Amino acid sequence: MRTLGILYFAAFTILGASVAQSEPIKIGVSGPFTGGSSSMGISMRNGVRLAVDEINAAGVLGRQIELVERDDEARNELGVQVAQELINKEDVVAAVGFVNTGVALAAQRFYQDAAIPVITNVATGSMVTHQFDGPSFIFRNSASDTIQTAMIAKEVVERRRIKKPAIFADSTNYGQLGKEDMLDALGRFGVKPVAVEKFNIGDTDMTAQVLRAKEAGAEAIITFGIGPELAQIANAMAKLGWKVPMIGSWSLSMSNFIDAAGANADGAIMPQTFIQSPTTDRRKKFIEAYQKKYSVERIPSPVSAAQGYDSIYLLAAAIKQAKGSDGDKIRLALENLSEKIEGVVTTYDHPFSATDHEAITAGIPVMGIVEKGRVVLAHPEDLSGANAARIKSGN
Amino acid sequence: MEILAQLLASGVAVGMIYAAIAFGYQLTFATSRTLNFGQGEALMLGALVGLTTINFLIGQSLMSFWAYLMMLPVVLAFGAAQGVAVEWLGVRQALRVRSEAGWIVSTIALGIVFRNLAENIWGRDAIKFPSPLSDVALRMGPVRLLPMEIAIVIGALLLMGAVELFNRRSIFGKAVVATSSDRDAAELMGINTRRVVTFSYALSSLSAAFAGVLLAPVTLTGAQMGAVLGLKAFAVAIVGGLSSGFGVIVGGLLLGIAETLTGFYISTGYKDVPGLVLLLLVLSVKPWGLFGKPPVKKV
Repeated sequence: MRTLGILYFAAFTILGASVAQSEPIKIGVSGPFTGGSSSMGISMRNGVRLAVDEINAAGVLGRQIELVERDDEARNELGVQVAQELINKEDVVAAVGFVNTGVALAAQRFYQDAAIPVITNVATGSMVTHQFDGPSFIFRNSASDTIQTAMIAKEVVERRRIKKPAIFADSTNYGQLGKEDMLDALGRFGVKPVAVEKFNIGDTDMTAQVLRAKEAGAEAIITFGIGPELAQIANAMAKLGWKVPMIGSWSLSMSNFIDAAGANADGAIMPQTFIQSPTTDRRKKFIEAYQKKYSVERIPSPVSAAQGYDSIYLLAAAIKQAKGSDGDKIRLALENLSEKIEGVVTTYDHPFSATDHEAITAGIPVMGIVEKGRVVLAHPEDLSGANAARIKSGN
Repeated sequence: MEILAQLLASGVAVGMIYAAIAFGYQLTFATSRTLNFGQGEALMLGALVGLTTINFLIGQSLMSFWAYLMMLPVVLAFGAAQGVAVEWLGVRQALRVRSEAGWIVSTIALGIVFRNLAENIWGRDAIKFPSPLSDVALRMGPVRLLPMEIAIVIGALLLMGAVELFNRRSIFGKAVVATSSDRDAAELMGINTRRVVTFSYALSSLSAAFAGVLLAPVTLTGAQMGAVLGLKAFAVAIVGGLSSGFGVIVGGLLLGIAETLTGFYISTGYKDVPGLVLLLLVLSVKPWGLFGKPPVKKV
């Protein structure tokens, strides 16, 4: 009788455990899938979906990853709602996403409070990974504005010897925080901008701002904004017959900037963690897989797609290492990742630590330039030979 | 000095768009004492329908200039139809029961519906409208203007001139003028005032749609493009006086120039302020508008 009881108990435990084992691992994806930022959001989501499909072929801990996707429309208040829904209603184990800095800053606290790890894969505002003290559940695999502004300052001051730049930043958290970072970066070179201009999302007439920069004698325009408004800046410069180099944050690679500005976009320079160019085998495979699955030739935002893809691989490895879906264990796993991951942007070898939640450092991004509707390498030597695989400095 | 000239020129182009939309407000107010608060959305729909049409025509291997000309009658017809729809859905009932403000809410509601429809059909992104004229700016002394900006000024003036001519020369135009001055008397004289009101709404949306396709090539076209414009044009209509055609032109130019000057000399963050300040000033000093006629109180 007792043996029968023990047998039943054992059977139920095994049954219960196996049922739990085959439950999918729910991962939330949030980003702007509509609106002015949508080329980034959709590319990121497509990269994420591609990675999930590849990983689900073998599964993680014998389970399948299930994506829960939500559109935050680049609006801070919607980002908050989406985060709450993913955490409380959908019970996600972890999340990736956040394209807009403002949305990230508004919504991250919910993940932090719920002890659910989040890998921000596109948003670049420097504050994003420093919002919380103590054990932080916020990680990032995009290039923060601190790095980008340093690269932009180097390109402007060192490479081109420009002493009189103008800064054009939009009125969102991204634009204004980025402008502050840019002022710091230029300050380290002893350079002050001759004009600092602001514009709102949805503004179409940039004549006043461009005129003021022209009057101040600006030799370059440094931008912090998103596609549609950046295009109007380029168009206003063309209309006023004043063409100076446009060097700015990575959003100058957005397809809606390139399309709306047409020929006026050529020559714009920006830091990129990923250029759509088959410089390594891994990148070649990724580009071809993306092109095939989504029937496009030009990826609308190659950086977003690549970082979205890599973020899932990082998360999957951490879940495997944590041997489960406990948020705190996944966080510790991310901070002490033992598996070396060959990603598309870079090869990740201990990308995070207890004090450092940024996977991308200064040596990894390269400068891209817009040429005839595509983003290509600005300085070919950056990705040739041994330089092709960009690695985190200090590793 | 050069800068001032450039700012004035840009301001005039922007101002004429405001004037063209405000003109639409006036047309319906004259005949029915009602306004279409979805006028901005009428502009936006005109621009988007124009975009689809012109892209279709360009796909048929037409040059963008001819495609644009052929697209115009389509957009004008659409604008007229949309105006009739607004009148029938939102205004006619309110007029019949002599509701004080029913038409305000229903035209606002229709505007919201149209905006959401547009977002669903054309998406939420801003799209580039192919320009029929060259994208290279013309130099006239110190001032640089896009050929399209000059076309905007000419187009808006042509529109308003055409309507004025229609009002004075044609018999139906005379019926419109009669209804504007005294609706009940016109009704008694055998004029079908209901049809006149419907016609004025059709004309109002038609002029908004025309303004939309004039504006679209120099800006980005999208479902959101009408919202702010409609509001500013309303301010222009109030400032110019809801009964004076000349007033809206002056009001539009005032606002356009004030905006570009503020944007440059004060700060681009304050660009939207002059319109609202102007509105407040006029309402406190001359509530019937700069060129309107003060209502005579009979005792």
